[in-house]
Amino acid sequence: MDDQEFIVEVVLENKKAARDPVGTTIQKDLLAKKGYDDISSVRSGQYLRIKLRADSEQDAREIVDKMCNELRIFNPVTQNLTILKVSKP
Amino acid sequence: MTIKIAVIQFPGANCDLDTIHVLNNIIGIEASLIWHNHFKEAEFDGCVLPGGFSFGDYLRSGIIAAHSPSIDEARIMLKDGRPIIGICNGFQILTEAQFLPGALLRNESLKFVCKWVNIKVENNATAFTNKMRVGDNLAIPIAHGEGRYFTDKLKELEENNQIVFRYVNESGEITDEANPNGSMDNIAGICNLERNCVGLMPHPERASEEILSPKKTTHGRLFFDSMVEFIKRRTS
Amino acid sequence: MPKVKKDGDELEVDLTETEIIQIQDLLKRGPSFTEWGMFDVMHSEHCSYKSSRPRLKLFENAELNYDYVLAGPGQDAGVIDIGDGFCLAFRIESHNHPSAIEPYHGAATGIGGIIRDILCMGVRPIALLDPLRFGALKDNPHSQWLFKYVVKGIADYGNCTGIPTIGGEVEFDKSFESNCLVNVACIGLGTIEDFKHAPSKATTPGDYVILMGGSTGRDGIHGVTFASRTLTEMSEADRPAVQIGDPFTKKMIIEATLEAVKTGYVRGLKDLGGGGLSCALSELTGDGGTGGDIDFSKIFTREPGMNSFEVMLSESQERMAFIVRPEGLETVLEVFKKFEMAHAVIGRTDDSQVLKVRDGDRLVVNLPAVALSDAPPIIREEKRPDYLDALLNQKTPELTMELEDIIYKLIASENICSKEWVYRQYDHEVGVRSVVKCGDGDSGVLRIIGTNKFIAASVGTNSKHCYLDPYEGAKGGLVEVCGNVLASGARPMAMVNCCNFGNPEKPESFWFFSRAVEGMADFCKELRIPIVGGNVSFYNEDEVTNTAIKATPVIMIVGIIEGKENIVSLPFKKAGNNILMVGDTKAELGGSEYHSVIYDLEGGIPPKVDEQVIKATWDFLLELYENNFIKATHDVNKGGFIITIAEMCFKNGLGADLDLKESDIDELRDDELLFSESVGRFIIETAPKDLDIILDIANKHNIRVKKIGELTSNSKITVKGLKTKILQLNLNKMKKLYDSTIPNLMEI
Repeated sequence: MDDQEFIVEVVLENKKAARDPVGTTIQKDLLAKKGYDDISSVRSGQYLRIKLRADSEQDAREIVDKMCNELRIFNPVTQNLTILKVSKP
Repeated sequence: MTIKIAVIQFPGANCDLDTIHVLNNIIGIEASLIWHNHFKEAEFDGCVLPGGFSFGDYLRSGIIAAHSPSIDEARIMLKDGRPIIGICNGFQILTEAQFLPGALLRNESLKFVCKWVNIKVENNATAFTNKMRVGDNLAIPIAHGEGRYFTDKLKELEENNQIVFRYVNESGEITDEANPNGSMDNIAGICNLERNCVGLMPHPERASEEILSPKKTTHGRLFFDSMVEFIKRRTS
Repeated sequence: MPKVKKDGDELEVDLTETEIIQIQDLLKRGPSFTEWGMFDVMHSEHCSYKSSRPRLKLFENAELNYDYVLAGPGQDAGVIDIGDGFCLAFRIESHNHPSAIEPYHGAATGIGGIIRDILCMGVRPIALLDPLRFGALKDNPHSQWLFKYVVKGIADYGNCTGIPTIGGEVEFDKSFESNCLVNVACIGLGTIEDFKHAPSKATTPGDYVILMGGSTGRDGIHGVTFASRTLTEMSEADRPAVQIGDPFTKKMIIEATLEAVKTGYVRGLKDLGGGGLSCALSELTGDGGTGGDIDFSKIFTREPGMNSFEVMLSESQERMAFIVRPEGLETVLEVFKKFEMAHAVIGRTDDSQVLKVRDGDRLVVNLPAVALSDAPPIIREEKRPDYLDALLNQKTPELTMELEDIIYKLIASENICSKEWVYRQYDHEVGVRSVVKCGDGDSGVLRIIGTNKFIAASVGTNSKHCYLDPYEGAKGGLVEVCGNVLASGARPMAMVNCCNFGNPEKPESFWFFSRAVEGMADFCKELRIPIVGGNVSFYNEDEVTNTAIKATPVIMIVGIIEGKENIVSLPFKKAGNNILMVGDTKAELGGSEYHSVIYDLEGGIPPKVDEQVIKATWDFLLELYENNFIKATHDVNKGGFIITIAEMCFKNGLGADLDLKESDIDELRDDELLFSESVGRFIIETAPKDLDIILDIANKHNIRVKKIGELTSNSKITVKGLKTKILQLNLNKMKKLYDSTIPNLMEI
């Protein structure tokens, strides 16, 4: 197995039940008031771009998934984690 | 007996020296400032996780500190039933370390808020509230940007009487206006099932001296006096 | 900009032809590019003060003339001995240009910078104050954006580092629209021992030079030359990216530095701010009479392949330079390791008086240390602007509005209304020292744990007054800020100033600076207040509209209160007590809020200062304090004394019944009496039984003090004794207006 470099992009966002005042404020108090009233919802979150060495794309995904869960890089009580994309640098 | 308390100093803690000052000079016990990597639980009767911005609040308030070796040590203390209090950032660390349930999110107003509030005592059977009476209205200041308490287990908390403080107005009523950060059910502080660990967002160390309090009260002292009482009872 | 050549390459430098020739003559050779870069930076207005130094010579030498001044201008911060073995360091600085471009990070890094300057004196930073200026908020989204993010930047950085913001001021005026002013001040507290361990000069050869903190990157190169030109002169492309601050690293630097200083092995300490390593190393060695041998390869960088030009000029944040005694090297390095702070030993001092930086076997910098820190001054021309006479002659229009309506409008106006929206975002209690908190007094008051001493501090000035008369206005600013500190019960002990002016190359703009400096020098000499530091920010001018900001010499005063029973607060305390007015009210409406809010007028005759009267007033107040005669004090400023009285009524819900017949100021119109902003006045609350003895003391000091009314328990202010009518003001309505202006403008 070749050890390659991968870039994994990850998004952490608040669960629905935990509310998202940042997203709501952007939508209601900024966009809607400036003529973008066709926008029905905005959700905010944090973006992480992780560079790592792994055997394969699948392997890279698994490493990132494991580390985010084990070290609570996202808070499972309030947040969801989504792996957006895996690519080569 | 000399009571020994550790105030754990995480990188970025701000209220550590304030807490040491109150414990040593006002309450009169032996509190030591312990650098987080040097903390050994066996040497102490209890510990305080003080307020501040541990690790800059980077990634999420309290998450990086929750992985500090000092938390593994504190976990032994927790299981052993010794008193542990987390104030503000300390509360955030305790939830991230899962000593206490729930999480602290960004204030509803999206702004940092520094002001004096009132909190009502809901449970006086914890290590830090035994000198209070249920229903007491305490004046304590807050100063935080991420103080909105959230949990998906609210019913359990209520049934188990784990809610220790709620934000109220001066007359003791639980209202929306009295809630400074949008906390679920106006919750200002909670405890674990065993009642030896308490976390709260307000700062009792800032409310322990008349000269600092707008109405010349010293309700903050009750927290630390309770802790001393709890330790004395345990060891007698 | 002129270009210099070396080996076929060209470099643009922001120096005049004269300066270029001076440098070549001094070195007797052409400097290397890195050396040119260092001169460029060190000779910029921001670093060298070349335009302002000739005028600043007017200030009395603080260290020589006052025995409690331990460090004066020219050092990183002013330091005074406050007794009991303690000393106070304080400084004020500007971060105007960066904040106008990127308000959040500009303001945040401004806080970062001022904290470092205090830390350099070996003491713990314990308080921040922030005087800010923007264009009017109403209907101006740009001003609202700047205001919101400057406040947030200051809040986030200050809160994270655990330093309470205990005071400040905000002024709104058209002239600050494209040139907002963000001045930041910091106070540090320590023992005199600590201060002695942290000089900012490297005076001993053979010591180690250690770099500690954040790594060096390509950010901020030429930040100081940016600050030394007007914003419109530099195109978008030229503007360097504003720095991103790291308050967490700063907090660790504070703790690591204080612990290192306590080891006793630190012999020199300097922060890396404007001008980066060039500035810090040349000042340390130049001021200390030594030289340095620095190994370029030891400087830890954030990005690969940085050359010596980039490294020496980088303004990456959060870096400190330490000069350490050889026998203490390991101990100091252990401290840095404990806090996990990146650090490197980058060289040693020597007795050559030359600063050398080696890159392998190449000598990339080889300069006499003093060459960089001693930029020759430039004498600027000054000319009183022609438009001033017409402005001063502007007359107040006849009264057409009801006096009540005018007052309601004033209390709601941007420059007078409550700034609670701002200070609620600042943690003003961390450190458990804050005894008088924001909003409760004219100045913040901090205790010194372990003593019965309290520190009172305040900042401000009135730029509308300074615009009309910079000499009297600068003095008036001093009267006002000293008045704030006095109102809390302290005698003013020392001053630092932050001069914000336009383009010094324009004679009219330089005239304002020159006159303001004269005003400050004269007043401080007369009232015996040492000037222990200052900062000058020029080039706050919009070239496109040809408008400079209104002259803004910001003053900061600190004072000490001995004994907690001597702390006085602002709110009225008890119904039935007397309300006394201390000081003279004159028809001085020039530059007043009344003129600008009601008539959109900028002119008129501004307030003048009579030093003898001010001296007597202060002595009077202090004598009253000694006898505990005063229950509440507030100094009178924007909007006049009715506004002052209303502000004192708000907290405890008291009201006031005033009768001005006693004040025998017949020659004034009603509006002149009510809205004059004559400086040096106070409203005080006293017990009826003490009235006679108080009036006797006033007579003794030969100042005007009159009982103007009494406190009541209903929420209105009634004013009898005016020429035109009896005034009835509803305090609940006033409080609502006062509280809601800024939230209404800022909360969408």
